[in-house]
Amino acid sequence: MDPRPELELETPERVAVSLELAGIGARALAWLADALCIFLVWVTVLVLYSISGDLFRDVQALSFAGQLLAVASVLLAGWGWDVAWETLGGGRTPGKRLAGIRVVRDDGGPPGLTESLVRNTLRAVELPLGYAPAILAVALGGRRQRLGDLVAGTLVVRQARFDLSRYDLSEPGAGQRFPQLRSRAQAALDAGGFERLGDFLRRRADIDPQARARVASRLALALAARAGVEAPRAEDAEAFLEALATWYAEGV
Amino acid sequence: MSGALASRSVASFVRAHRQGWERLGALSERASTSRLPLAEVEELDRLYRRAAADLALARSRFAGSDAEGYLSQLVASAYRALYRPRDRGAALLRLVREGMPGAVRRHLAALGLAGALFAAGLAGGALAVMLDPRAAVLLVPDPVRSAVAAGRMWTGHLLSAAPGISSAQLLHNNVTAAALAFGLGLTAGLGTALLLLLNGVLVGAVFAYAFRHAMTADLLGFVAAHGPLEISALLLAAQAGFVLAGALVDPGEWPRRNALQAAGRDAGPLLAAVVPALTLAALLEASVSPAQAFPALAKAAVGIGLALALWTWLLRRGRAA
Repeated sequence: MDPRPELELETPERVAVSLELAGIGARALAWLADALCIFLVWVTVLVLYSISGDLFRDVQALSFAGQLLAVASVLLAGWGWDVAWETLGGGRTPGKRLAGIRVVRDDGGPPGLTESLVRNTLRAVELPLGYAPAILAVALGGRRQRLGDLVAGTLVVRQARFDLSRYDLSEPGAGQRFPQLRSRAQAALDAGGFERLGDFLRRRADIDPQARARVASRLALALAARAGVEAPRAEDAEAFLEALATWYAEGV
Repeated sequence: MSGALASRSVASFVRAHRQGWERLGALSERASTSRLPLAEVEELDRLYRRAAADLALARSRFAGSDAEGYLSQLVASAYRALYRPRDRGAALLRLVREGMPGAVRRHLAALGLAGALFAAGLAGGALAVMLDPRAAVLLVPDPVRSAVAAGRMWTGHLLSAAPGISSAQLLHNNVTAAALAFGLGLTAGLGTALLLLLNGVLVGAVFAYAFRHAMTADLLGFVAAHGPLEISALLLAAQAGFVLAGALVDPGEWPRRNALQAAGRDAGPLLAAVVPALTLAALLEASVSPAQAFPALAKAAVGIGLALALWTWLLRRGRAA
């Protein structure tokens, strides 16, 4: 099975887009964060009410506006929380924002009022069962939809944060020590290889010195073979890797 | 375009286009929350097309890279911004004017079933208490019986609570019942049917009990304002539940998964009709119902009038009289 299931969709411009589906961890985190938010809203309202309860009581006994406010706060702080945020916030509740996920329709668009109502109302049957059906469906299902998603035709996708600065030239001069790599870098690396190599170069300061040297020399050996150049000496391995990454990134 | 073709590495590809992408990201973020001026919409459109082309290139040449993942998300969010419904207000109006009545009328059988089950429960509960007073011990809740025994309206205590809070609680309970009536449709409708029957039995038994103790007028005076709307909301939610059940039991020529999704599209407008009905009922229940100032007749007129208006809208709108 595909370890990272994706939502494949095609825009009207015939461009295929694939979005990674959110897993059970992120969705559980989002749910917990939302539950905490709702709990805090309730606590705040109750504290305010108990502080000024007697003051309110006389006013509220008559005031229709007060009731309207109370009803609105119940809707917002309970059942309506998800619906309101998902409809007005492009499929993201505060919890989902925190967990880096969002709800989308299966055509990629943001969920509307009816879709959000359907997917959240169906929590009523999943919640009394401790969310067991939802957890199983999200963990095991191919499209990671719980009952509400299935009926509403929605999916939850990951909103990953990508750091494009990894493609910047970190040390433009690093290539000069190994000019022979200039014409070979494109053959030795592809996009994925370049990213992994960049990961290693960025994180090497945190690696145990012995392991760092071992990994560097093995990488250098393998990449030198691919590039068709002589392998560098062990103490030059990291400089060699830097040069290779820099020449590749320059893209000439 | 020459930049994209000339760049041989993913890094130079990203560096060549990054500025435009980030501008596109900022524009679509803003477009999702506010209206953009025309010049910026045109820019959004232009950048979107360019990013779509970049994505196609990234998918073929740099598959699996962060650049491809970034572009996928970027194009998807720009697509959401460009193709989002133009006006939420108009969409809401269309939902109320066409979506809700249409969904109700497409599934009249489900509505009829819900009404029949509720009526059956009502009749059963009333009959049981009328025929055998001991049935009341089982069917009528404790607080109701002790209140009637004391000769006062059991709902009197609501007056002592702040109306705002009680309406909030009532709404919460009613929303839970309606949500269950809908959700239990997934048990092939059995759960929804049971819920309707039980609620019918409860209401029927309470009415019969009040009748036996010559308190019908008091009870009517209390429930007439909000009761009709509450029951209407329950029936609508149950109708939505039976629509789901229908898709599960008899999906027709579709796979069950797709039939369920199509049913969900019809259930949505029904649920959207439940929400205002319940909200209004809760407000009435907390303000009009317990007020002694209104005569029972006025309360009944309000309650029945509102429910009639709701059903006329849902069943007759757009038809020649």
